[in-house]
Amino acid sequence: MALDRVDAGIPLRESAPGKVYQSRLTSEIPSISPEADTLCKNFLLRVRELGGEVAQRKKRFGIWQEYSWREVYDHVVNFSLGLSELGLQPGDTLVIIGENDPEMYWAQVAAHALRCKTCCVFSDASPADILYVIRSTDARIVCARDQEQVDKLLEIQTEVAQILKVIYWEDRGMWAYADDWLASYPAVQAAGQASRGRQPDLFDSLARATEPHDTIILSMTSGTTSLPKFAEVTHFQLVYGHALNHKYVDSRQSDNWLSFSPMAWLAEQALGFASHLITGVCVNFPEGPETVPTDMREIAPAGLLFPSRVWENLARVVQFRIGDSSLLNRLMFRAFMPIAYRVIDCEDGDSPIPPALRVLRWLGEYAIFEPLRDKLGLTRARNVLTAGAMLSSDIIRFFRAIGIELRQFYASTESFGTVHLRGDVRFETVGVIVPGVEIKIARDQEILIRTKARFKGYYKQPEKTGEALDKDGWYYTGDAGHMDERTGHLIYLERVKDLIELSSGEKFSPQYIEGRVKFSPYVQDMLTIGGVDLDFVSAIIVIDFQNVSRWAEKQGIAFTTYVDLSQKPEVREIIRGELRQVNASLPSYSQVKRFVILHKEFDADEAELTRTRKLRRGALQDKYQDLLEAIYTGKSQVRMRAEVKYRDGRAGTVETELLVADV
Amino acid sequence: MPVKLHVQNVSLNFGGIKALQGVDFEVQSGEIYAVIGPNGAGKTSLINSINGFYKPQRGRIIFDGRDISYTPPYKRAALGISRTFQNIALYTHATVLDNLMAARHIHMKSNMLTGALFWGPAQREEIAHRRRVERIIDFLELEHIRKSVVGGLSYGLRKRVELGRALALEPTLLLLDEPMAGMNIEEKEDMARYILDIHELQGTTIMLIEHDIGLVMDISQHIAVIDFGVKIGEGSPAEIRQNEAVIAAYLGEGAR
Repeated sequence: MALDRVDAGIPLRESAPGKVYQSRLTSEIPSISPEADTLCKNFLLRVRELGGEVAQRKKRFGIWQEYSWREVYDHVVNFSLGLSELGLQPGDTLVIIGENDPEMYWAQVAAHALRCKTCCVFSDASPADILYVIRSTDARIVCARDQEQVDKLLEIQTEVAQILKVIYWEDRGMWAYADDWLASYPAVQAAGQASRGRQPDLFDSLARATEPHDTIILSMTSGTTSLPKFAEVTHFQLVYGHALNHKYVDSRQSDNWLSFSPMAWLAEQALGFASHLITGVCVNFPEGPETVPTDMREIAPAGLLFPSRVWENLARVVQFRIGDSSLLNRLMFRAFMPIAYRVIDCEDGDSPIPPALRVLRWLGEYAIFEPLRDKLGLTRARNVLTAGAMLSSDIIRFFRAIGIELRQFYASTESFGTVHLRGDVRFETVGVIVPGVEIKIARDQEILIRTKARFKGYYKQPEKTGEALDKDGWYYTGDAGHMDERTGHLIYLERVKDLIELSSGEKFSPQYIEGRVKFSPYVQDMLTIGGVDLDFVSAIIVIDFQNVSRWAEKQGIAFTTYVDLSQKPEVREIIRGELRQVNASLPSYSQVKRFVILHKEFDADEAELTRTRKLRRGALQDKYQDLLEAIYTGKSQVRMRAEVKYRDGRAGTVETELLVADV
Repeated sequence: MPVKLHVQNVSLNFGGIKALQGVDFEVQSGEIYAVIGPNGAGKTSLINSINGFYKPQRGRIIFDGRDISYTPPYKRAALGISRTFQNIALYTHATVLDNLMAARHIHMKSNMLTGALFWGPAQREEIAHRRRVERIIDFLELEHIRKSVVGGLSYGLRKRVELGRALALEPTLLLLDEPMAGMNIEEKEDMARYILDIHELQGTTIMLIEHDIGLVMDISQHIAVIDFGVKIGEGSPAEIRQNEAVIAAYLGEGAR
């Protein structure tokens, strides 16, 4: 649908190596006042200024429960002193596991005021993952949201003698646990309140004594290749980072932010947690992961950040649901979408929009686009951000067409990067440099960034820090890219190590192709394979079960399971169609020549994806060795025996026949 | 432990068909009691007799020491007996929330007039009941479908909603008619967890009918086995496993 724009392969131009790029924006490099140079000091200021205003909302029992700044303050103070009573010392680490809740925000401020570090862990982490985190971060106390998380800790209890207490706050299912090792959140707060009675000003003086260069967050790097490292994030990194971007990502006190992306991800910490404390933006926590769509509609947030996967998914769902809706809706969507695309093509090419087109787009706004945005809960969305893996231009174009300006926020745990400015979104770039950041492209196309909003080092791994940061303060991102000298936008290509060289000597970016193909509602994941010793590019496709199964139902194709559906010839046919469409816009050397539809989804529990759902390419290629061999030896089918590990730890095998097809 | 329910020598005939013949057993207060048996053994007839849909020709049903053999079903519900159905009997076109709120009806005091005015006590009552219902929604993890119409939900979810409705009555005896029939393993395990939680958290006495012997053995304290309307065995799961008559009737002659 949106593939009419031909991006001629990958523009592997040589940017001037070694040249330092500065921001072209004229605004000044911000400075930080010493009264507000830590998050804790900011917290005290917000409480004083905003007292009775709503700070946080959590939907519980079907109702948005509100917490004013004063209430949040009480919760934080009591919890902080409670932690101290439990024996948490300055410099210790508090590990937090679970889906986002106000309690997590409180726990973070509480720990930071004690000059302790926090480390948030993805809620689907396995007990072994948690063990690794606890051991590598010198954790002393763990906050575990609910029974599910507590059970994981009980499983490793004997191995983590260093943990003084496990604190939970969702007490459902917890009545049967009588272990001294566990404590409820309110119980810790009650102990803190008693201590507060004795020293009423203790918390404030502790919070005022925090230093900007205290490490406050240990942020786990995603570890696509190796064991994860922990980046030391300071108050300064977040406060200064916020100062750098707040002109462009302007959270305001009157705004609503939807806190949904995992806290283990630094982007959510920076744009959610830190902005909340600095600007006073109201943070809203959905009832649960499944209720996000309805909760979002009720809140209609001004700001939200989703990982690119979620946007990809949302684009697929919208396109699919439209196909499922009434005839009138379908006709309107089909009539107005091309118009909207033409309007953004004009905008993008800086050419004037013909008046007739303008009128039609305006009609479309009322007919379909505004109701659609309302359905998505994006009517008031101003700061709509994507981060994480690169989002394909088709998806950004799609959202822009329906009236949502989706902007890339390019940054890593280690360092601030670039951002798209409002009104200056270019589909193939990741934004511009803001004042206070410098960028350099190394000889091998690696992007280097220098800014003060960067991490302090990897926790207890100085040699790794040395590899990532040079003596002049340049951070080696490991990403390949170049600067577009005309527009001043940074173009991101791929992780340096993931750029694939073909036998012809040409290089291509698998992520780029995957991003394009994944715009199809039928494709959930894709692994692109190629290499110097391989003759052509091929792909392993993971279908989107929900959408494909609905499509199959409509076509009257009978199927039993995921495995069965994935191998249907009709399904192969639609996937082939999608691949052909993308191939048409690629140079011949990087076109996908053969493909296999996999019999299962990629799964983070089987180490096929990282917890942020990026592909672990190396692991995948090893695992599907047989499949690759079949593809490149010209076989038409291959027998797969796959070990399947279930969530509860059992293992089983699935045996099936996969067909290898030519595009 | 006091006896919660005594099914006393109950016989039920439909014309010449003897659905139940002198079935007699006691359910202790606070236990999970399972009734198993092959298809057509009379299990559902038994539940229907307990909650009053069927009138047995002989025998008595004693609930909390009180003879309820001639009490109509709606009064038995008010006494604290609630049930779920094998084939799901929800209001298909109403939302999950409305289905659960409807079950609160027996606890509501406001009449048609005050309800229509919806002011003062009626409003407060509605809020109080909604709060109870929300606890059940939270407990059974139904938040994401709170406002969905029941007819559009998957089978497993509808089963869960039905359990929620039975809970909304705040029963002291919960009758579950094949709560896990037609579910996949994961859904079955979830359901078993909910049943155990209800039992442990609220001390509700639960009587359930089930096909899946493995699950029954795992979660119930006592089991009765029915075949052709006759109770052929009763005891703890371990005893049932050893019972010759049960093995022959239920698991088949060659199962040993």
